[in-house]
Amino acid sequence: MLEIRILHVDQTFSTPQGRWVVFEDLNLEIPPGSFSVIVGPSGCGKSTLLRIVAGLLRPTAGQVRLGAFSPEEARAARWIGWMGQGPALLPWRTVEGNIRLALEVNRRSLRPTLSIGELIELTGLSGFERAYPHMLSGGMQQRVALARTLAPGPRVWLMDEPFAALDALTREQLLEEVERLWQRFRATVLWVTHDLHEAARLADEVIVLAGRPARIRARFSIPDPRPRQDERRIGEWAQRIRQALAGGAG
Amino acid sequence: MSSRVLLQASARLIIRTARPARGWLRIALPFALPAALLAWELTVRILRVPVYLVPPPSRIFAVLWSERALYLQAATVTLGEAIAGLALGMGIALGLAVAATFYPPLERAVMPLVLLLKAIPLVAIAPILTLWFGFGLIPKVLMTALLTFYPALVSWMTGLQAVDPAALELMRAWNASDWEILRHLRWPSARPYTFTALKTAIPLAFIGAVVAEWTGASGGLGRAMWLAQTNLDMPRLFAAAFLLAAMSLTGYGLAAWGERRVAWWRL
Repeated sequence: MLEIRILHVDQTFSTPQGRWVVFEDLNLEIPPGSFSVIVGPSGCGKSTLLRIVAGLLRPTAGQVRLGAFSPEEARAARWIGWMGQGPALLPWRTVEGNIRLALEVNRRSLRPTLSIGELIELTGLSGFERAYPHMLSGGMQQRVALARTLAPGPRVWLMDEPFAALDALTREQLLEEVERLWQRFRATVLWVTHDLHEAARLADEVIVLAGRPARIRARFSIPDPRPRQDERRIGEWAQRIRQALAGGAG
Repeated sequence: MSSRVLLQASARLIIRTARPARGWLRIALPFALPAALLAWELTVRILRVPVYLVPPPSRIFAVLWSERALYLQAATVTLGEAIAGLALGMGIALGLAVAATFYPPLERAVMPLVLLLKAIPLVAIAPILTLWFGFGLIPKVLMTALLTFYPALVSWMTGLQAVDPAALELMRAWNASDWEILRHLRWPSARPYTFTALKTAIPLAFIGAVVAEWTGASGGLGRAMWLAQTNLDMPRLFAAAFLLAAMSLTGYGLAAWGERRVAWWRL
């Protein structure tokens, strides 16, 4: 398990309209093995932060540490599980082939904890091993993407609104399964969403990011036991997060 | 609900949507060429057009049949040159396109040169190549390579860049090497573009070989055409042209078939 530390991170982009400051001296610590959810208005830099943690984007200043390692070292060790908004499956590979791709690339440092067969079963893809992505629904495609993310046995899951494009029912089902999988693997999760109910349902801690440059406006520790099914309670938390987003105190 | 049933249903749906051309068109298409030939035959006969201007198709086919050994040999020569030149041109194009994905500034460095080469007219290059390399195989192969290289390069450069950005990001998150990204992502994405390139390059390959033969050769369809033209022997000229067109069309058909097979998921 790795803790994530974001230390004095600045991020600016040069655009034709001038310098755009996304982060200025951003500091954040995510405890090892916790499920942290970042919420914030669109365009505030949630995805940018995730890219910086993954080492896909080098911050203008400051640094990120994953345990004792840099994001680049963690990436080289295959400790980072990345899941974006789309499934990004390769259309010429079967379900099984797409999952296996995660194990065919950069194999030296690979220590997978589960076989592909087990993963397929865990993510509810049994019977679809030989199907091609275009034959699957959006929800099934995201299941494949999830299995692929977990295949190398990552210690950190970086998830960028993975189920945003799915219908409510499918999303609900997948959130349940993600929670179950996380409880089994106990990775450190950094999850980006704009859905406050999703945040209230999943998070050990919700981090509210807002403003320009983006600052941490509030943090909520949610101690409720899992799986959380009390809609009223989830709604209360979502309401509190909404207030913090709107500018009130956390 | 069994998954197998679902799979079969979706496969059936895919096959159905993949079917091209509407009903009547599918029936009419095979008759288009014979109809055109028939119209040609009748026009020439009714208007009594002299054979040394436009020969009737029946005459052309008669020549093709009576001198089939000769034409077969000439076609084999031209086909060999076209294939060798195509392989060379496309090979160089692939090498350059791959190199440019590893080292993007290369594209900006190479493209002006490539465009310059392409801007020189074919008829200007052909005699020079013959002058330099003689009447043998080399000038024909070079000529064909020069012509086919450009469409192949453009197709592959496009294909190797046209990858899903999300998949590329994922590969980076796995710390995949450039080579692994090429092998698992860029090349499979570019594969259909190979056939797009072939569809353009195959007809060009035959033109390249024939033009080179025209400026000096001991065999081939270009040579046959040149001989027929100097003798004002239109049936023989058209016979060679027909054969050339048939080979070109066959090649194009093969490339189109290959494209459908390789990029089946796009259907």
